[in-house]
Amino acid sequence: MLTILGQASRMCDGIARRSFLKIGGLSFGVGGFSLADLYRAEAATGRGSSHKGVINIFLGGGPPHQDMWEIKTDAPSEIRGEFRPIPTNVTGIQICEVFPQLAKRMDKAAVIRSVVGCKDRHDAYQCMTGWFNDELRSIGGRPAIGSAVSKLLGPKDPAVPPYVGLAAKTQHVPWSDAGNPGFLGAAYSPFKPDGPGMENMKLQGIGLDRLQDRRRLLTSLDTLNRNIDSSGTMAGLDAFEQRALDVLTSSKLLDALDLTKEDPKIVERYGSGKPYQYQYDGAPTCNDHLLIARRLIEAGVRVVSLSYGRWDSHGQNFDLVRDHGGKLDQCLSALIDDLDERGMLNDVSVVVWGEFGRTPKINNGAGRDHWSQVSCAYLVGGGIRGGQAIGATNRLGEYAVERPVHMQEIVATLYHNLGIEPEGTTLVDPTGRPQHLVDRGPISELI
Amino acid sequence: MSPRTYPLESSTPFAATAICRIRNSICLAFFATAGALYFGLVGNESLFAGETLYFESHSISTESHVPIKLIGSDARWQLLVSQRDPSGPRDLTGKVEYKFEPSGVIQIDPNGMVIPLRNGTVRVTASLGSEQSEPIEIEVERFDEPLSLNFANQVVPIFTKLGCNSGGCHGKLAGQNGFRLSLLGFEPQEDFEHLIKESRGRRLFPAVPDKSLLLQKAINVSPHGGGQKLELDSPEYRLLRRWIEQSMPYGRDTDPVLTAIELIPKERRMLRDSSQQLSVIAKYSDGTTENITRTVQFESNAPDMADVSVSGLVSVRQLAGDVSIMARYQGKVAVFRASIPLGATLDSWPESKGKIDDAVFAKLKTLGIPPSKPSDDGTFLRRVTIDIAGRLPTAEESQRFLADTSKDKRAAWIDVLLESDGYADSFASKWNAILRNRKTTPESQFGSFLFHDWIRQSLYENKPFDRFVREIVTASGSIETHPPVVWFREVSNIESRVEDAAQLFLGQRLQCARCHHHPFEKWSQADYFQMSAFFSTMEKKEGRSAQDPVFVSKAATASAPHPKSGKSLKPAGLDGSVIDIDSSVDPRTAFADWMTDKENPFFAKSLVNRYWKHFFGKGMIEPEDDLRITNPPSNPELLEALAAGFVASGYDLKQLVRSICNSATYQLASDANEFNQGDSNGYSRYYPKRMNAEVLLDSLDLICGTQTSFEGMPTGTKAVSLPHTSFGSYFLTVFGRPESTTACECERTQTANLAQCLHLLNSKEVQSKVSDSSGRAANWAKQPPQEEVQRIREIYLLAFCRNPTPEEEQTALRYFESKRANVKDAYEDLVWAIINSKEFLFNH
Repeated sequence: MLTILGQASRMCDGIARRSFLKIGGLSFGVGGFSLADLYRAEAATGRGSSHKGVINIFLGGGPPHQDMWEIKTDAPSEIRGEFRPIPTNVTGIQICEVFPQLAKRMDKAAVIRSVVGCKDRHDAYQCMTGWFNDELRSIGGRPAIGSAVSKLLGPKDPAVPPYVGLAAKTQHVPWSDAGNPGFLGAAYSPFKPDGPGMENMKLQGIGLDRLQDRRRLLTSLDTLNRNIDSSGTMAGLDAFEQRALDVLTSSKLLDALDLTKEDPKIVERYGSGKPYQYQYDGAPTCNDHLLIARRLIEAGVRVVSLSYGRWDSHGQNFDLVRDHGGKLDQCLSALIDDLDERGMLNDVSVVVWGEFGRTPKINNGAGRDHWSQVSCAYLVGGGIRGGQAIGATNRLGEYAVERPVHMQEIVATLYHNLGIEPEGTTLVDPTGRPQHLVDRGPISELI
Repeated sequence: MSPRTYPLESSTPFAATAICRIRNSICLAFFATAGALYFGLVGNESLFAGETLYFESHSISTESHVPIKLIGSDARWQLLVSQRDPSGPRDLTGKVEYKFEPSGVIQIDPNGMVIPLRNGTVRVTASLGSEQSEPIEIEVERFDEPLSLNFANQVVPIFTKLGCNSGGCHGKLAGQNGFRLSLLGFEPQEDFEHLIKESRGRRLFPAVPDKSLLLQKAINVSPHGGGQKLELDSPEYRLLRRWIEQSMPYGRDTDPVLTAIELIPKERRMLRDSSQQLSVIAKYSDGTTENITRTVQFESNAPDMADVSVSGLVSVRQLAGDVSIMARYQGKVAVFRASIPLGATLDSWPESKGKIDDAVFAKLKTLGIPPSKPSDDGTFLRRVTIDIAGRLPTAEESQRFLADTSKDKRAAWIDVLLESDGYADSFASKWNAILRNRKTTPESQFGSFLFHDWIRQSLYENKPFDRFVREIVTASGSIETHPPVVWFREVSNIESRVEDAAQLFLGQRLQCARCHHHPFEKWSQADYFQMSAFFSTMEKKEGRSAQDPVFVSKAATASAPHPKSGKSLKPAGLDGSVIDIDSSVDPRTAFADWMTDKENPFFAKSLVNRYWKHFFGKGMIEPEDDLRITNPPSNPELLEALAAGFVASGYDLKQLVRSICNSATYQLASDANEFNQGDSNGYSRYYPKRMNAEVLLDSLDLICGTQTSFEGMPTGTKAVSLPHTSFGSYFLTVFGRPESTTACECERTQTANLAQCLHLLNSKEVQSKVSDSSGRAANWAKQPPQEEVQRIREIYLLAFCRNPTPEEEQTALRYFESKRANVKDAYEDLVWAIINSKEFLFNH
């Protein structure tokens, strides 16, 4: 039995009975992507060919923006809540008291206090794609950042998928969305490493030579005219088949997922995130996922998405933030240090955000309800200019009064950090129309 | 009255009228008087020389000789100007020049919207270059009079149009910042109370209307979380201000209420990269009408094909196909359908074999998408056997069918399949999943076996579908005496019974209407709870065990309380009238009567669409169980024809399958021709689909010469005949077997993923089947080598229902040559390659 999330005891709760393995975007040829395209995309931002990556940490449910990076000290108590701000290592920037470790690393990061453009929908779609879920729906929707990157840059290593989704399946399914390939088709779906299917990644009962023989035979016999299927399923299966055969000839991906291969001291630094409180129908606060994300990027993955905790605090908002926030403080600081020590921090962008903010007024159950007028985000790494707090909300935290930052600007910043110029790059949809990655440019204060 | 019904006579004077309603007054609009005037009909080709420009009629009345009247300063009129063209009318509303005299009475904006300026009468003509239309007359009356307003008819629609009462803003249950409106304005009385009485009356200030919070927030002078929603002094602003000025009248009880809205035109054939202005008319209970184009919400069902502006201008892009534009107004919906032809022509069309083909081919002709060629015999045999019986044909069946020279062999084979166990197994598996027949505890297995057996037997003996449904929804007693009570055991509360029944048998998703008016449908909470009243007398009694309860209907009057008013509601079907049921009668029988009535607008359509999707992989309506007016079918004529046939047959399921499978449409090849590669809902070819999980596993076993064992089931049980979906099997799970936790077919997934490929390419399970010591490869390896060609042909026949091509045969033989030292390996590898090929995995 293979252990993917460290020892069996470290397995994150909430993994569904039906665990699917999804993978996408690896094979050259399927996407018609050439090396020249890669150079072109990278040259556009004047960057070299070093390996850039994104870790997209989705706080499903919508974290309370006023209890994270901007404490509304001037608001009346029924709005202000229980938290006090603490100073950070950047003069003038204060964040919530539940993040003391992150406060010490504020010089590397940027908090955005005025995220706008959210739709009141309980799903990861906007954080994964930057778009509303009904955009281009009839042709499959907009692709997630990881899918677009899989298409544009292809795999870094043919045996390692460019896009991995770690989100454990949640009872409220949209919170476990690891990102969707949209109109790019199934070949660009994220690889989801969980469940018994992991066993199939090691050769079963035959040697590598025999596999190669079979592969040759299959190639010469599998000649069905592919143009009979325009739904993309057949092309997807072809791409997955190539990917599967690549995976079987290399164990790089398996190793990256195996935390027993990590220095126990490092594992310790991230913490376990347990006990999983306030989880209900949402994701566990699985700290291991952040470490696995780092290992995956090291192994050649370009984009890792994960879902951390359940922030839908209609009740007990403050207890929840204390619990989830404290755990996030530990693993996120560990990730920053870890990336920094390995010289990866400048290449790997980490974004931490949810689908919307929460109501200024605290409800009768000490909770906060949905608030899509304004939200927040935390960004670190990827070469951004750290030590900044961007934007502000009004005194009551109701709406952005300074520098509203659209969700798409954040996605555009991630593309920029990956070496893909968001404003000039397009993807061709199935109807032949070029589609821009996003409609807005990166956050100028950060790049 | 739609434009379709206007007389075509061009030589006789003809006039059409519209009644336009501005509050309580009526004005009759005069559209046209001239002899040469032509009313453009969709697809009409009869042309005459001379004038090609004309004003489209907005009329829904036939009363004649009355000009358009705009009453009051708020009235507007959306004109539509078209040009005749051999392929259908072309919209020029925004391109023509409007001339009118005298000046100063009205102005017409570039989009053809008439705005009154003072009282008077004008004659309007439209011209483009040298072309000029016949004139129409427009009268403006009572421009300076303050006309009294009606809150529900005039104020609430503004909130809806601006999004104030949407689910993301003040429309949500908790409201926004203390101000709450009913979702999409479905409860005007509540909205009125909130505006007038709440917040110490600060929201409205009749003494100085402009200082009202409502207006100050809307224009963002007082900071508004939603930003600026209105321009100062815009028509909407002026209307709201006037309403406040008049001391916020709600309107009188005698004021008319909205009964319907009409979209003009109803349908059009549109060129790629063209546009069409829409106009919308509201009809009221007093017979009056009003042009409401600027107040309705428009929405496209495929924005990548065509989008629509807030003012109702539809812009079509490059894609060919069908698109629908919905207009919503106060819970009423109207639809405009545009077909955007590809424009290809084909000399010879496949011969139509009946109503299905007539409807499909008519649509394809309109779109200019020629269908593929008919499929060959082997492909057809494999396809129809999988689709009907959930299995591959045996080698003997293939041989016999291919050798058969009789003309009607396809029809005969369909009949054979319909009478086979395979048909019952395959469709029982389909119904089992959505009827939620699952094993939740070891004790519940007994009931699920009995229910599956009941479903299977019903299908096998071709129980009419209306009876099948009736026996489920009226099930009483114990599981032993009447197995369908398992449905009540699994669907355990009244809400999920109402919702499941609506989704399963009517294609209606009622979930929204439990808590508020359905935002995209006409269903209100009253509709929901009237439906639930049918189930209100159901009672679960202790039986032999917790998993073996007894269900009874107690003698009581069926009713359900309205969640808002608390009023006791009597049972009624959706869109049906209230039914008085004697307390001695089980109200569910009345529910079954209403559902299975020949006139029920949902029952037959929902079933035929579900079955169509089973065979074609794509429903005329998608998802197949979401029949909404805002989710129109891709081919309404086809849906109507199939549903009518199904009703006429006495809800005969086998007959439905027979007519689908015998159609030329179903028997088309999947290979695309030059034009139909991109077609995804016109059915111009068979769309390949991956075999579903159970069928794939059985087929794999057939090829490998093996069997899969399922816990507690006799050896030889096929996956497709499993009595519930809870048998542990990674194979079935990874290939998308549903868990039967909902009534939604969407639980079954056919999408590709890496886990599937890894499992087929490399799992212990598949490897052990391929190399089984008593399996096909092992047995064949014992045969003399000169039989290899024979074996290769046999496996091709088995897997693909065809012979190998000479190249394929040579490739395989060469492979055997290279593996001479271990023939068993060679056979295993061949089997492995076959089951991993797309030709095997797909039904095509």
